[in-house]
This record gives sequence, structure tokens and C-alpha cells, in this order.
Amino acid sequence: MPQIEIAELTKIYSVDRSVITAADNISLKIEKGEFISIVGHSGSGKTTLLSLIGGIIRPTSGRVLYEGTDICSLGDEKLSEYRNEKIGFMFQFASLLPILTAKENVLLPGLFGSQKNMTNERKAMEFLEMVGIGDRANAYPSQLSGGQQRRVAIARALMNEPDVILADEPTGDLDEETEAEIMELFKELNREKKVTFVFITHSLDLAKQAGKQLRMSRGKLAVSEAEPLCAPAL
Amino acid sequence: MPALFFVIGKVLMTKFNFTVVALKNLKRKPFRTGVLVFAISLLVSLIIFSLSFIASVSSSIKKASDRLGADLIVVPIGARGYAEAFLLESKKAEFYMNKNLIDRVKKIEGIEALTYQIYLSTIGGVCCDVEATRIIAFDQESDFIVKPWLKKAIGRGLNKGEAIAGYETNFNLGVELLDLETTIFHNKFKVVGVLEKTGTALDNALVMTEENIKDIVGSGKSPINEGQISLIFTKVKKGFDPYEVGRTVEGNIVEVDVVARSDMGKEILGTLKDINKIFLLSIVLSSILAVFLVWAIFSAIANERSREVGIMRAVGANESHIVKLFIIEVFFIGLAGSLIGLAVGTSVSLSLARGFKLLKNISASLTVLQQAEIAVAGLLIGIIICIAGALMPINRIKKLEPLLAIKEE
Ligand SMILES: Nc1ncnc2c1ncn2[C@@H]1O[C@H](COP(=O)(O)OP(=O)(O)OP(=O)(O)O)[C@@H](O)[C@H]1O
Ligand SMILES: [Mg+2]
Repeated sequence: MPQIEIAELTKIYSVDRSVITAADNISLKIEKGEFISIVGHSGSGKTTLLSLIGGIIRPTSGRVLYEGTDICSLGDEKLSEYRNEKIGFMFQFASLLPILTAKENVLLPGLFGSQKNMTNERKAMEFLEMVGIGDRANAYPSQLSGGQQRRVAIARALMNEPDVILADEPTGDLDEETEAEIMELFKELNREKKVTFVFITHSLDLAKQAGKQLRMSRGKLAVSEAEPLCAPAL
Repeated sequence: MPALFFVIGKVLMTKFNFTVVALKNLKRKPFRTGVLVFAISLLVSLIIFSLSFIASVSSSIKKASDRLGADLIVVPIGARGYAEAFLLESKKAEFYMNKNLIDRVKKIEGIEALTYQIYLSTIGGVCCDVEATRIIAFDQESDFIVKPWLKKAIGRGLNKGEAIAGYETNFNLGVELLDLETTIFHNKFKVVGVLEKTGTALDNALVMTEENIKDIVGSGKSPINEGQISLIFTKVKKGFDPYEVGRTVEGNIVEVDVVARSDMGKEILGTLKDINKIFLLSIVLSSILAVFLVWAIFSAIANERSREVGIMRAVGANESHIVKLFIIEVFFIGLAGSLIGLAVGTSVSLSLARGFKLLKNISASLTVLQQAEIAVAGLLIGIIICIAGALMPINRIKKLEPLLAIKEE
């Protein structure tokens, strides 16, 4: 059984009278420990797909099975638990709480989980050091650069030791060196802890580092497994 | 006060938990938090003051009538109001009737025992060497009103030429009266003791036996004549309805009115009911206003924080986590507001009580239990209002899909 199975997944946004099909009848299987990249034009539905898998939006139709359970049929409590324990989500945009310090932001998922070790401050510090900002642990987001904020968000996604990490342009505003470090960290987690990775990127270079490469186009999905991606057609 | 909250905050913030997040949220808009706390504290002090006022007035009236120790009080016709004012509010009043009415009342069926008292007021300076005060003269032989108190105070009856001071009188006269010779209507009296606080008219009087009245009448300076009494206290036999007996008395003796104990203070209590209504109306109106204010502010807060709520939901907060977080926040506002309101309301009640004639005269006071009940009521209402006002916006925000909440701005 695949870890995640997506079947005929559709998400339709209706704005005023017009209708936008952000995800169009997508089917996909993800095995545990896969390392997957998604590319595609702006507005092609990448974030939508990732959010559907992560359970932060509900589909219009179709199913998302996690280890055989349809997460779309879960109630609020179970679905929140799924987000909390199974998934580490990294947003495309800044996503830290402004009133909390970097460390507190990393500890945040622990407030909502049942596992006690998630509120462990030492662990939070380890992750902050892992992403290279251990020295700014007590700074507030407003006192951090965009790249530093992003790294805090990465540490937060790692904090609950998720089985799947969904990363929406995780290295979007990082320099090449830091980007490489983060990618290395991802690969290490993937290799050693069998963490499944699905990440969105606009960099073909990064996309190529993945074991499976997906391409989104107008809400539809095209899989190009292990074959090198050509430059995106217009 | 802010310093105190700061200290509490510091203590609570040592470990990262829901309370820390709630307190940090409160801290980021101190002015807004302050406005809410202020509004709640105003409301709670209004509630505390109203409840204290109502409770102290009605309970002291009830206490006074309960402690009279008589089922029916027979007064001169037309003097019912004066008598109540005298007995319950310790107002000065002089009303007299013929002593021979006692025998006629005694003959009415259902009367078990009766005794009478005579009231008069002294006038400061002219005739007497004590400040203006009220005198209650009682018939020691038949008495059942004063005796229990007298027994507690001096363990014996009063002799001729002796008087005993009521609890308040002792203070009002401003002198240590014990063993002091005092002159009242040109008669010398020895004040032999002070009665305990009775919660009745005795508190504000100088009490003596009836035999002294003859001498006072003899002096010619008092407003009273020989053979006059102020009122008759009666006890009704078991198995008889006091109202029924009272009606029989009034029917047989045209010269008197009868007040049943349970009717005592009806008029004041009636007025009080109107005051009650006014207080209640203003409490209800300001509560609605407070709920509305909390609602408006928390609607704004909910909009402002929808992104943050979405992020928390995305990292695993369920709906009840979000509710919990906001409820802790409003709870602190409600608690702070209520505590301040409690302090302000209590001190206002205490200081205003001295200014209110009604409260002063009946020496209104609340038991510790009553005060605690009022405090708890005020606290609860303050907190409940906060939570009630915030509930709707919180329920709306918690229902948003995480991603949409994050994008909503
Ligand atoms: N809340 C929404 N309401 C209406 N339309 C939406 C909403 N969110 C997204 N869309 C639309 O759905 C489509 C897919 O959006 P999505 O965010 O998934 O794109 P994306 O591939 O992540 O783009 P980008 O690379 O710019 O982040 C877009 O056309 C967008 O306009
Ligand atoms: Mg996107």
C-alpha cells in the first residue's frame, strides 16, 4: 500500500461567477521514503495540490488516502492530529507568529500535539542550530531576515518528526550556499529516517535532484519519473 | 495594578504553553486590552454596588422585623407609618394612645401575651444633659422584647433611675456612659450598661423601665401625658392566624391600627423593589453594552489574526485549541476587569453607604457570606460577559479552512 494515494482529486474555487479549477482530476501514488519535486508555472496549482495532501484545504471531489485512510473523511480533531503528527508543512510565504520568538515558533506544534517530547526546548534548539540560526533563538520574526524566518519555519516543520514533509518553495529566498545546506539536510532525513519529501520549486536544478519529478500545468499533473525535465514549454 | 499583572505574566511565561501565547497576545495591544478591562471593571463595580445596596437594605429590614419578637404590633390609629419608621429605620417619631387599650386588646381571642412600650425623644440642651436621643420605656413585668437583650448585657432587670444604652447610642452620645449620672427631663439617671447590637430600634435608644415615665411626666417638660403608651407588642397563640387576629383587633377597637410582623417594612421594601428594578435595568443594559463591546473588539481581533489562526491550524491546532487560546485571553480580561471592579465597587459601596440616609439609619450591614456571594456573582458575571461577547467571533474564525484563513487579510 502506498503511503499516500491521491485519487481523482479536484479542487474548484468559485470566485464571483467564474470558476477556477486549481486541481483537475489528479491521481498519484507516493511511496514511503520518496523524494519528489513539483514544478510548474505560477498559478498552475502546485500550492493547491500540496495543501490538499497536507489536509489544510478540503477537495471539491476525490480522495487523499494516507496509509489507507481517507483524510478528507476525517473530523476536525483527527484531521488536525494528522497535520500535527504526520505532516511537516513549509509554506511558500512567511508563516511565523509575530508574537512568538523563533524558538517559541518552533515549539508551537508541540502545544497542539499529544506527544510530550514535542515541547522539548532542547530539541527545538537542536533544530534551530541545524538550520543555522541557533544564535537567534530568542529573536522575534520582525527582527529576522526573510531567509532566517524561512529557516525557522523549516525547523518548525521538522520539530514533530513528521513522516511526510511538504515544502512549498522551501529555499525560495535563500542564497545558494544555504539552499544547498537545506537540501542536504532534507536528503539526509530522507535517507536516514525514511522521511517522504514533496517539494515545490522553480529551480529546475533543484527539481532534478529529486527521485521523481512532477509537473503541474493548469491544474493537471504530468509525471516525468527519473527522466530529465526539459525547459518548461510556454 | 499593571505591575502586578506583569509579575504574574513573568511567572506564567517561564514555560511555553497556551497561557503564554494568550498573555503575549494581550500584551501586543495594551491600549485595547486596557479599554476592555476598564469597561468590564465599570460594569462589575456597578453590579457590586447595586447588589450590596439592595442586599444590605432588604436584609437589615428583615432582620429588624424578625428580631422584634412580636407577632402583631398595635399602634394608635394612623400611626402605622411612624411606628414602622421608628422600629425599622430608627426615625424619631412620637405617637401615643390610651393605656386602657391594653385591657381591650388582651380580651381579643387568640392573643397570648402582650406588653407595651413608650417612646419619646429628648431635646438636646434644654432639659437634658445628653445629646438628643430617643427613649424607650418598657413594662418590666410583662416585657418579652427587651428582656433577652438585657439579660445578656447586665444579667438582671433595670431598677428605677437606671437606664441602659443601645449599641449605637453609646457611640452617638460620644461619652463613656457607664456609671455616669445623666439628666433627662430633669430626672437623674444612671446608665448601667450597653446593650449588644440588636438590629432593632433598641440600638438607637436609651432604654429604661416604665416607672420612670411618671417622674418625667411629672416634670411637665415632656410631650407625654400620664396614662399614655406608644404601642403594644402582642404574641399570637399557636394555631391562630396572626392576620386573622390582627383584623379582629382592628375590628373591635377603632382607636388602633395593627401591623403584622410579616408586613413590617412593606412600604420600604416596596420602594426598594422599584430601586431594584432601576438597578437591574441598568445592569442589564450595561451588560448588553459590554457584551457588544467585547464582541466588536474580538471581531476585529479575529479578523486581524485569521492568518495566525490559519498557521496554528496548519501545524496541528484543532478547533477547540483555537477556542481555548482565545478563551484564556478573554478570561484574563474578564478576571482583571472583575477584580478591579470588585475593589472599586466595594469601596464605592462602603463610602456611599455613609452618604445614604436609608443605609445609615438602619445601620445596614452585610454578613461575610453575603459579601462573598456578591463578590463571586460580580466576578462570574464579568467573566461570563467577556466570554459571551467573544464566543461568536471565535466560532467564526475557528471554522475557516487553514489555508484560506492564512490568505484572508
Ligand atoms: N482562495 C482562492 N480563491 C480563488 N482562487 C484561488 C484561491 N487560491 C488559489 N486560487 C487559484 O487557483 C489557482 C492555483 O493556485 P496555486 O496557489 O495552487 O498556484 P501555484 O501553482 O502555487 O502558483 P505559484 O507558483 O505562483 O505559487 C490559481 O489560478 C489561483 O488564482
Ligand atoms: Mg504556490
